Amino acid sequence: MKMSEPTGVSKLSNLLLASLVIPSAFLALTFVLHPGVGEGTLVRFANSMLTSFTMISFLLLLTLFVYGDARKRPMTPFFGMLLCGLFGTALSLFFLSQGDLLMEDNGSVRAQALSNIIRFSTTVIACAIAALIVLGMLFASLMHTPPARLEFEEE
Amino acid sequence: MEESLQAFFLFWLAGLAIIVGLMLGFFSKQSPIRRFGMVLLTVGTLSILATPWTLSFSPSSSFGHFLGSILGPSVLLGVGLYNIAFSGHVPVGRLSESDKRAGFVMVLIAMLWFEGMHWWVLTPTYPDDINRYWLIFWPTLLVVTAFASFVVYYIVKTVGDERYQEQRLLLTLFAFTSLLIILGLLRDGPHVESTHFAEEFWLAGADVFGLMVGAALAILLFALVLSIYEAQQPLPKQLDPPTTHQLEEAAKHIAKHVGGVNEDE
Repeated sequence: MKMSEPTGVSKLSNLLLASLVIPSAFLALTFVLHPGVGEGTLVRFANSMLTSFTMISFLLLLTLFVYGDARKRPMTPFFGMLLCGLFGTALSLFFLSQGDLLMEDNGSVRAQALSNIIRFSTTVIACAIAALIVLGMLFASLMHTPPARLEFEEE
Repeated sequence: MEESLQAFFLFWLAGLAIIVGLMLGFFSKQSPIRRFGMVLLTVGTLSILATPWTLSFSPSSSFGHFLGSILGPSVLLGVGLYNIAFSGHVPVGRLSESDKRAGFVMVLIAMLWFEGMHWWVLTPTYPDDINRYWLIFWPTLLVVTAFASFVVYYIVKTVGDERYQEQRLLLTLFAFTSLLIILGLLRDGPHVESTHFAEEFWLAGADVFGLMVGAALAILLFALVLSIYEAQQPLPKQLDPPTTHQLEEAAKHIAKHVGGVNEDE
């Protein structure tokens, strides 16, 4: 192998770096062009993280039920549920204890939680349509590439 | 019916029906359950789409209005890309050239429609202001498309073999979405000022990062649960080594079935 050829680990780290650099660069550009932005960022981040964790845990819990059933150990999903619930509750208590950290333009914690779920759904829909655009275009392009032909040397 | 109860049935229960319907429709192995899942999904979606009329008093109805606003371009985009993809080199069920042209037109109209919602008069407005979920959706769509196109470009470049056309396409998409972001940050639209777009774009970034971190935490926790349980699993029962008689029997069977070819043949 050549010295300059990237290994699997370095390719993965480059990929991770690219995934962090691209959105960060756009956000930095936003901050440069509009220095006034940034209010409520931490609140939004915390709300988004907590909602995402809770919603995805709920979906993964369903898979744990299937797993526990297949492994003939029905205690597994309950243990998973308990751990997940405890972790979610701990996170909620932590953020709620930081004063108004979790509250945005909503009057109560319940209203904030419901608003978070709708906002999470909007973000998920945007991500799904973005994936449709990127993967759809890639797939369409791949399907229009002529099939590779095997070339045999003439005897 | 009380307003909160009405909102529960027509919005939140409908949302739950969509999630359950999706899971049953895609993961169930039995056809009747899959069909039931699809019915739940359709009923839930229709109920949420109807909220601007059925729950006009509730702030949640803006989400129904937003879904209705993006339904047209999203369906056009999905069907258009399907038509383009399956009019290519597909061995079975290949679509015709006219389907392919229709697909290109659909994708173009969908793109223009989405653009018109920011840069023209098509911005979703409900009831009198711009729909707040549109203001969340549009920057998120732009930033995630730019990010995903670059990441997929890198993957295609690293893994793919002579996939130059795909690399060019993904880079073009990345450049196009980046340009839209920069234009949105620099120029006012007819309904959305650049400062407002910048604020929403920043919060969309916080949303996406939060979503990624929350999802990663949830997955890590579940991996931990599974590894703890797997570690507790007792080792399978060890069998005794085979006896001489069993080995002789096995050798006899092997010799009978895996015999070599005679030299005479």
